[in-house]
Amino acid sequence: MTTISIGRSAKIGLLALSLAAGVAMPGHAASDKLSVVVTDEPKSLDPCDTDLSGNARVLRNNITETLVNLSPADGSVQPSLATAWEQVDDLTWKFTLREGVTFHDGKPFDAAAVAAALKRAQDPALACEVGLATLKGLVLTTEAVDAKTLVIRTDIVEPILPNKLATLDIGSPATPADTKSREPIGTGPYKLAAWTPGQSITLTAFDKYWGDKPAIQNATVLWRAESAVRAAMVDTGEAQIAYEIAPQDGTTANDHAFPNAETSLLRIDQEVAPLNDKRVREALNLAIDRDGLIGTIFHAQAQKAMQVVLPSVFGYNPDIPVWTYDPEKARSLLDAARADGVPVDTEIVIYGRIGIYPNSSESLEAIQAMLADAGFNVRLEMLETSPWLKKLLKPWDAGRQPSILQTQIDNTEGDAVFTLPNRFTSDGNTSSIADPKLDTLIADASKATGDERKRLFQEAFKYLAVDAINIVPLFHMVTIARVAPEVNYTPDVQAGNEIKLKTISYR
Amino acid sequence: MSLAYFVRRTIFAALALAALMTSAFILVRLTGDPVNLYLPVDASDAAREAMRVRLGLDRSLLAQFLDWAGDMLRLDFGMSLWHNRPAMDVVLEALPNTLALGAIALTLAFLAAIVAGSIAAVNAGGWIDRGINVLSQAAASVPDFWLGLMGVLLFAVTFRLLPTSGFDGPVYWVLPIACLFARPFGTLVQIVRGSMIEALNATFVRTARAKGARGKRVIFVHALRNALLPAITVTGDLAAQFAGGGGVVEVVFGFPGIGKLLIDGILKRDFAIVQASIFAVAVVIFITNILVDMLYASIDPRVRVE
Repeated sequence: MTTISIGRSAKIGLLALSLAAGVAMPGHAASDKLSVVVTDEPKSLDPCDTDLSGNARVLRNNITETLVNLSPADGSVQPSLATAWEQVDDLTWKFTLREGVTFHDGKPFDAAAVAAALKRAQDPALACEVGLATLKGLVLTTEAVDAKTLVIRTDIVEPILPNKLATLDIGSPATPADTKSREPIGTGPYKLAAWTPGQSITLTAFDKYWGDKPAIQNATVLWRAESAVRAAMVDTGEAQIAYEIAPQDGTTANDHAFPNAETSLLRIDQEVAPLNDKRVREALNLAIDRDGLIGTIFHAQAQKAMQVVLPSVFGYNPDIPVWTYDPEKARSLLDAARADGVPVDTEIVIYGRIGIYPNSSESLEAIQAMLADAGFNVRLEMLETSPWLKKLLKPWDAGRQPSILQTQIDNTEGDAVFTLPNRFTSDGNTSSIADPKLDTLIADASKATGDERKRLFQEAFKYLAVDAINIVPLFHMVTIARVAPEVNYTPDVQAGNEIKLKTISYR
Repeated sequence: MSLAYFVRRTIFAALALAALMTSAFILVRLTGDPVNLYLPVDASDAAREAMRVRLGLDRSLLAQFLDWAGDMLRLDFGMSLWHNRPAMDVVLEALPNTLALGAIALTLAFLAAIVAGSIAAVNAGGWIDRGINVLSQAAASVPDFWLGLMGVLLFAVTFRLLPTSGFDGPVYWVLPIACLFARPFGTLVQIVRGSMIEALNATFVRTARAKGARGKRVIFVHALRNALLPAITVTGDLAAQFAGGGGVVEVVFGFPGIGKLLIDGILKRDFAIVQASIFAVAVVIFITNILVDMLYASIDPRVRVE
């Protein structure tokens, strides 16, 4: 949209009309008020549901806080509600809690409160997001040594327990134990003022906050499904920050692209012929012109990926070569496989998910054409989320068609263990690879610490990408936020999960 | 209009509603179970199975149906999975917004279409008629999401006259109403124009003129009254569509109505929301139909509601 010109008289007429109707225009925000617009209303504001990013964006480090935070720069563990922690022995951890912290309801923050929050998050009857995902399969027993000292024992060796606890938002002990809460009470710089379903959530600064006082006193979270509308709201002053702006809308000086911790890829179903032949899987990777996709269908700042985690994740392997675009070689690999009797001309389905990222359909249409050029027989099927999940998650039909699946993997927890086990081991519920060597590598790495852990994870990523070729890695993704020029805010890699309101101010 | 008429209509409506709700029950379950959508991808199979058991989705379809039918008879629509609140509460928050939005847009469209359609008919073939024709064709065929986004760019971003979106007072209704207004207006103008031309050439109008009735009286009393009937029928149909929500318009403007609720409910496999929405909308349509019949009878004395 460039300029729209309309007669001056018409403009005056419209103005008169709206004045006559007693219309009050939304003015620019006052200096301690901020509105943020996201895509969807959060599903839940229960502190135990912050594994879902839409919930976490409102809660984490705004209303509720965690024992520790992860640094957006390097994934290192930073103090928050815990000031110190140590691993006493293989199965025992000791956390020292911050003094002088109170919940919004006036209850003191202490070891018993943490223990209660942990128990609640892992209660199967509540089916909390955090308990079902990050803390899955981990049996934790707590002991409040004193008000400010908490001992946590694990049933298995868990070298990165602090990273996992960075996902546990701690609500007041008054949070109901037997049901999800719509009124979160935390220790954070903001308390919930109102949640008007379908419309908005408002937060106000908590004056007894233990940390620095935030500049923004009143924050409103709004949601609009349409990217163009979200972008327009920043232009009109109805919002100061708008997330998930589509590339075609995000072209102004106020639009900031930032890595969102997601890596896009195609998962190859390598159990089904012809994809069970490594040459065919290699040909898939060589047939895709990744450079041609960047700056056209994908954002210009997206980075070509060689593995499914970002460089900031512990265990990332910098030495895996990026795939080159070589359709000739792809063709010759397919010919060689064909000569050996591999049914390379069998139709392969690409399963895509509508809206998994901006231009998701367009990207697969381009990839389909590239694969067809290289001699593949491919068909594209775009699915809505629910049927797509059926393809992503086991169990799968034995007689299924060969397929590759569009997906993306995020890792905001900073360690490779949050990416590899469930997705690439034999018993993982979304894994299309069953390879004992990889299983052992991942299992050993998960238990190891320090340099050994890093080396084993790096080896696992290399094995996956180069030796097994289970994936067609695409890009480390970026997303766009539009920020009003008068607002001091730079989104970081955690912005998909956190709106760090306390760091935002007016210039 | 008799009591017997209402009783009969209500019985028919109840039967239709029962059939509709039964098909809704079956259809939403054909679209797949919600468990995968509601649990994190990393959740274990045991957690998935536990959720199926908790929601009763592990039982036979017949057992689920019998339970559900019992709940329906008590007008218990269950809890919304997504909203974690009673589904009917959520629906009844959204429905009045949608009904008000639809009623205003449709009433304005109806009135404007009568004026524009009559003017076109009286000037049939002239340049005014052609102008109205082009305008109404455009209004009837313009996609509402495009109209909505253009409205935001023009009136909110460029001129700063209206808010882009939201739900905070009368001013927030202007753009959604304008967008919803376009299509029925365009359609109704065509209908009013057509039936007015027919009426103006009918023998009863010639008779009225022959008896010395004056021009405007002939147009607005004799001809229009007869020409309105098809427009009312079509408006009734449009009202039924609007009761189901402003769809795209609600999505674009973040207007908390039942159209967005229903779309989200379907995408999120929130069975309770889908069923409660369908029920509420069906009841509204039933009432609308009775109102249209009554209106019809009051305008055309030949029609008797029985």
